[in-house]
Amino acid sequence: MSDRPILLVEDSPDDVLLTRRAFKKNHIRNAIVVASDGAEALAHLLPEDGSEGLHPALVLLDVKLPKVDGLEVLRRIRDDERTCHLPVVVLTTSNEERDIVTSYRLGANSFVRKPVVFEEFVAAVNALGVYWLLIPAGAR
Amino acid sequence: MSTGTAGGRPRVEVGHEQLMALIDHTSAVIYMRDADGRYLLVNHEYERLFRLRREDIVGLTDHDLFPRPIADEFRHNDLEAIARGVPVQVEEEAPGEDGLHTYVTVKFPLHDEVGRAYAVCGISTDITERKRAEEEVRRLNDELEMRVRQRTAELEASTRELDAFAYSVSHDLRAPLRSLEGFSQVLLEDYAEELDEDAQGYLRRIQANVGRMAQMIDDLLHLSRATRSQLRREHTDLSALAREVAHELATTEPGRTVEFRIPDGLSTQGDPHLIRLVLQNLLGNAFKFTGHRSDATVEVGSLVRDGVEIFSVRDNGAGFDMKYASKMFDPFQRLHAASEFEGSGIGLAIVHRIITRHGGQIRADGVPGEGATFLFSLTPSPADWEIR
Repeated sequence: MSDRPILLVEDSPDDVLLTRRAFKKNHIRNAIVVASDGAEALAHLLPEDGSEGLHPALVLLDVKLPKVDGLEVLRRIRDDERTCHLPVVVLTTSNEERDIVTSYRLGANSFVRKPVVFEEFVAAVNALGVYWLLIPAGAR
Repeated sequence: MSTGTAGGRPRVEVGHEQLMALIDHTSAVIYMRDADGRYLLVNHEYERLFRLRREDIVGLTDHDLFPRPIADEFRHNDLEAIARGVPVQVEEEAPGEDGLHTYVTVKFPLHDEVGRAYAVCGISTDITERKRAEEEVRRLNDELEMRVRQRTAELEASTRELDAFAYSVSHDLRAPLRSLEGFSQVLLEDYAEELDEDAQGYLRRIQANVGRMAQMIDDLLHLSRATRSQLRREHTDLSALAREVAHELATTEPGRTVEFRIPDGLSTQGDPHLIRLVLQNLLGNAFKFTGHRSDATVEVGSLVRDGVEIFSVRDNGAGFDMKYASKMFDPFQRLHAASEFEGSGIGLAIVHRIITRHGGQIRADGVPGEGATFLFSLTPSPADWEIR
């Protein structure tokens, strides 16, 4: 399993807590770096001085974020050669079709609507973990 | 007047006075001017209209009688008729008591023996009323078009607002529900030993209500989508859609046996996504309200009344009292206690909106304890027509 950190871009402290719990329940022990808005996420991934930034195993990206929204963060990740190959899973509360379509068009690897029921979220995180963390990139 | 015969036919010679009488009794304005524009003759209507007497006019030109631009125009048209040598038809304007009047005028030259035009005759008919009516129609049309544009812009703006509202509802109202649900679950898992059975039961009640609320938010979004999404009419296979929906319903409760009777060949012109929502709700209701029956049957059909195709969904479930039939298509109306049958009360409002957007109608018939029948059309019907 990759031991690189997971970057969780999420502005709701409650969701951060529940997501951490879902990872723990799925025995995913990667460090979790939290960015609470889009600007912070970009500062981690794409330092302005052009140096190599954080190189996470997986980016979990909420769509609706303060300052720079999730879809813009995704666009900037794909536009920069330092980050263009990072696996990015877009998380959202809504199931607006336009968000789904835009996410995939911008190069999201996956799109997950955060379920209301926590047990379902744990299951979703399990599937994400197995796919993006457990299976080596070459085998995907 | 003298009468004689020529070639066996009676012949009437018409003299100057008879001709004058003729032109004096028409509502057209008639006049004759010489090649230099001096009046030779005007009829009675001309005298009346311009409050002039013919003996005063003879020898004057239009430039003595009318403002210069108008006189210039008359003279120009006279010369045009002389130059062309044939009758010409023009539109002219002349001052009247209530402003400018518009005339359609026929002008033609009179020629002497050597073919030289020595005079121009004019016959002018007042078309002001017609012009004003045309102008009014044009003005009203322009106004109407402007109002349509304005209303369309307003509607588009409110649709955009509704869109933004629905988006934020779907996003922002669900987020707190996740916290409620998630942390209730945390309490149940991490504090199971400290919480007695009652406390755990209350937490489950919280979770159940959170689930209901989430379902209501989703239904509200469907309702909003049924309103704002563009309606695309295409060939829609109702039989296939109904079978898909029935199959989905059957898998949600594998323990139940419900007989779905769906004939082949039901089709219509409509929006397949929206019609699927209609069937999801109607078949879903039928499935739900037959829950207590072991011989549950849900039947889809169609019939034609007064040339309008009507589709039906019939069940032998709980039914309802007809005195509530008019209320059931309003949002959040429920005819059964939540403990008896779950639901958000929005499903039939969604159905009603989709059918109305198609130009169709829906009605519900029910008998408590015996079942319900929903009849709906998806095409515009004749005026005053109602599904019965």
